[in-house]
Amino acid sequence: MKKIISFILGCFVALNLSISVANSAANEVRVAYFLEWPSPNLEDMQKKNFAKALGVPVKWTNFTNGGAMTDAMLAGDIDISYSQGLVPFINAVKSKAPIKLVDIAMEYGMGGTTCVTSNASGITKANATELEGKKVAVPLGTMAEYVFDESMKVVGADRSKMDIIQMDPEEGAAALVSGDVVMACLFGGNSIKAATAIGSRLLTVQEARDAGILGIDITSVTTKFMKENPGMLRTFIEVTHEANARYKAGKADMNSMAKASEMKVADMKETLSGFKFLTPEETKQSMESGNLKGFLDGMGTPKGNVDTSFLPL
Amino acid sequence: MLTQIITILILVSIVGCILYGRKLIKTEKIDAVFGNPERAKGGTHWVIVGSSAILLIWLYYSWDIAKGFYPKSANELCQVAKINESLLGLKYQFPIDEREFKSTSIIKIENKNIEKISIEIQNSQDLNSQQKTVLIGFLNKTGQLIPLLTKDNLMEMETKQKIDGITEKINLLIENFKKPDYPFETEEELNKRLQAVKEQGDWGITTVSAGTGTIENTFEVPLIPSTDRGLKFNAAAEELKIIDEEFFKLRNHNPQFKNSVKKIKDEIKAYRASLKDSEEIASNYAKNIVKITRRIEFASIYPPNALNKMQKAIIEFEDLQKSEQGNLRLIDLLLFPAGTIVSSGTSCSEQGSGRWLPKPSDTLNKFILMSKPSVGYKNIPLLWIDMMDVSKIVGFILPDWIADVLPGDYPIHSSDGVVKQNFKGNVLKIVTGDFKLFKIPVPYGHIWDSFLRVFLGLVFGIIIGVPLGLFMGLNRFAKGFFDPLIELYRPVPPLAWAPLIISVLGIDNTGKVFLLFMVSLSIMIISARAGASGTQLSKIHAAHSLGASNRQILRYVIFPNSLPEILTGIRVAVGMCWGTLVAAEFLAGTTGIGFVENVAKKYFQYEVIWITIFIMGMLGLLFDVTLRKIIDKTIPWRGKG
Repeated sequence: MKKIISFILGCFVALNLSISVANSAANEVRVAYFLEWPSPNLEDMQKKNFAKALGVPVKWTNFTNGGAMTDAMLAGDIDISYSQGLVPFINAVKSKAPIKLVDIAMEYGMGGTTCVTSNASGITKANATELEGKKVAVPLGTMAEYVFDESMKVVGADRSKMDIIQMDPEEGAAALVSGDVVMACLFGGNSIKAATAIGSRLLTVQEARDAGILGIDITSVTTKFMKENPGMLRTFIEVTHEANARYKAGKADMNSMAKASEMKVADMKETLSGFKFLTPEETKQSMESGNLKGFLDGMGTPKGNVDTSFLPL
Repeated sequence: MLTQIITILILVSIVGCILYGRKLIKTEKIDAVFGNPERAKGGTHWVIVGSSAILLIWLYYSWDIAKGFYPKSANELCQVAKINESLLGLKYQFPIDEREFKSTSIIKIENKNIEKISIEIQNSQDLNSQQKTVLIGFLNKTGQLIPLLTKDNLMEMETKQKIDGITEKINLLIENFKKPDYPFETEEELNKRLQAVKEQGDWGITTVSAGTGTIENTFEVPLIPSTDRGLKFNAAAEELKIIDEEFFKLRNHNPQFKNSVKKIKDEIKAYRASLKDSEEIASNYAKNIVKITRRIEFASIYPPNALNKMQKAIIEFEDLQKSEQGNLRLIDLLLFPAGTIVSSGTSCSEQGSGRWLPKPSDTLNKFILMSKPSVGYKNIPLLWIDMMDVSKIVGFILPDWIADVLPGDYPIHSSDGVVKQNFKGNVLKIVTGDFKLFKIPVPYGHIWDSFLRVFLGLVFGIIIGVPLGLFMGLNRFAKGFFDPLIELYRPVPPLAWAPLIISVLGIDNTGKVFLLFMVSLSIMIISARAGASGTQLSKIHAAHSLGASNRQILRYVIFPNSLPEILTGIRVAVGMCWGTLVAAEFLAGTTGIGFVENVAKKYFQYEVIWITIFIMGMLGLLFDVTLRKIIDKTIPWRGKG
């Protein structure tokens, strides 16, 4: 009996302590990123330039969605999330997660995230109200849901009258092909390719841009890391912006970027062509009064989760 | 209040039952040796202990006990967390939470980096000796920057004064913090704060945004201090924040250092400009050296003893605030296991087990809320009744082509713009259910949809699996023909079919039911087959000699004999179907418990996730108990053949 009690007490103490001892000193910086979502700073990742610039090892871990990045940050396994989608970030801060937005990774048009209607349904921008009462596939809680909401506003269709089905992009594309849904909102090159084979974009990339619909990926950081290692965070963002400038000047090493993002060079170039990497000045403007600000306000994001002080201005 | 009573009840029942159990062991006359099943009989009191323990662990790790007994503790801990947050920036400079000064560790890292790069440069094949000398020269100069920062006599008077000023402010805060009436709130401020406290609500209140029918996340921890102790910490945190920012901006840059930095940067810049395109490697090294320079410039490095007074003040404040916390520290330690309340600028939140393990009381409240048909989840109630006209059922059962095959044409509108109905048109109305009859209540909602899917999958599995299994157990052709097919598909995990389902069967119920059908089919076949081949030969012979036909033997001997196996198979299949259901509804959902869980995950709605888990557990249990009852009623001969 005594053994059992002491065992239970031991477990109890161990469990209570285990969570509070996560990462105290930054002996390495742990960064989350996406595969198949290229960015110039992946070249620096590949060449270990971040470790040189920060002075400590940098560990990169790839994720499949932004929500998982948040979970990992809260569990104390990730310090910085690079190119987290804005919608997962907003969902996280709405649920009071202690993370902060410190930089914009990239803005992208509807090239990478879009809604596609099937040609068989005959629905286009002109008669989009016919979507009401029909089935549409949307990956809820992602950037695609935001694009869906905004597109519906542009074409004047009522979201609440549609039968919205929660589907990941690959499945949404498959359902569009089989005719189960008349429209699918998707992200990711392969899914969009499959969907546009039998359908067409509800809004063209240009129309979406004109309507102000754009995706924003951001850099988020845990509050703890931000407070304890402001210098490292600043350097991280600085190196990223240097990489962006190098990419704009056409000096980026495409092969190493492609290798880092596990894509073919040609595919990667196509994806990259839809991205816009902002300069530090543009980033600040977007965060304070531009696209990002509008986006955050439009989604009802709690204030005080954006910090511009780490931008290399 | 309820949580308090339940907690006490649980504790009492656990202790009572354990005492009773121990007493029973002592008083009971046991002549059963170890291994005798008699020893495992009875023991309701242990059931109570077991379930109470689960509930207690849930209450404890979800911090519901803390909420029940000290409802204000989260609000107060939030204020403490604010202080901790403000202190983070001040504390990280000193060996308080860390082992060494931040300055020390930065110097250590940078010296190591300088050494590493210099070795790299010296061993590099791609650099010529002239480049090497220049780069090493830069490196040495960069290394010499550090002493410029750490020498006491070089430190600017202004910097010293600023540090003293900051120390002074901390000391003043310490003095004030000791006073009981700090932060000297006026009557007006007090009223204003109390008003705000009233508006912000309590810890863990579920808010429903009216009209939209969506369930928002639980409002977690109230931010505005509601107690005097909290107010004190809140005020100190605000002061500390200003001090922290002041210190954060402060750099120990003396003119000599600034000049040297500028000189190095300019030299490297000039050097890089002078390099040709082919000398990129040297240029890169030079760039990395600039980065080290900038890191040293940005880091806060101070002479070894310059910050001693400040460190002392911070430690003193740290100790003071800890002692001022009083019993709050104990509450934090004991009632907030595996985590605590964390402040993050504009909000306080539960971080740790309280975050992903929702409180039983919150979960219950949310469940009650979600059960309301007007709220539900994503505009669909969990389980409710819809009045449906019987005509819809008629229309569903009668095929539409009945109207098409009738002679004549469908009515055409006349030139007056009037449509006159004819017989064929009326028939079409009936077969499509376009008429009014009486209404009957029909259940609908997430739970019903999930239930229906499992039920249909099971029923189809039984209808096809049982005859096929019996057939395979009795007939050589059937066994030989179907065996390879079924043995090949049986070991495939049902979810392996999932990626194909949408492409092949679409997103409606067909696909999900099919997935569940695949699960139940193989189980039903195996159990029916085992039941059929397990029939005792003597019984079959007896029936034969009494003149029974083949059909009669099947109906009255073999089928009743295999029923126990079949019903056990159904029980197993139900369990498997529930297991697969969630994944099936993850695929393409508009309704269903699995869909609710999947969407809740994306919005971090942990309460909803746990509710779905409970609902599934309960429904699974309900299925199982019902089946057990059916088995007991219909086949009393089970286990006696």
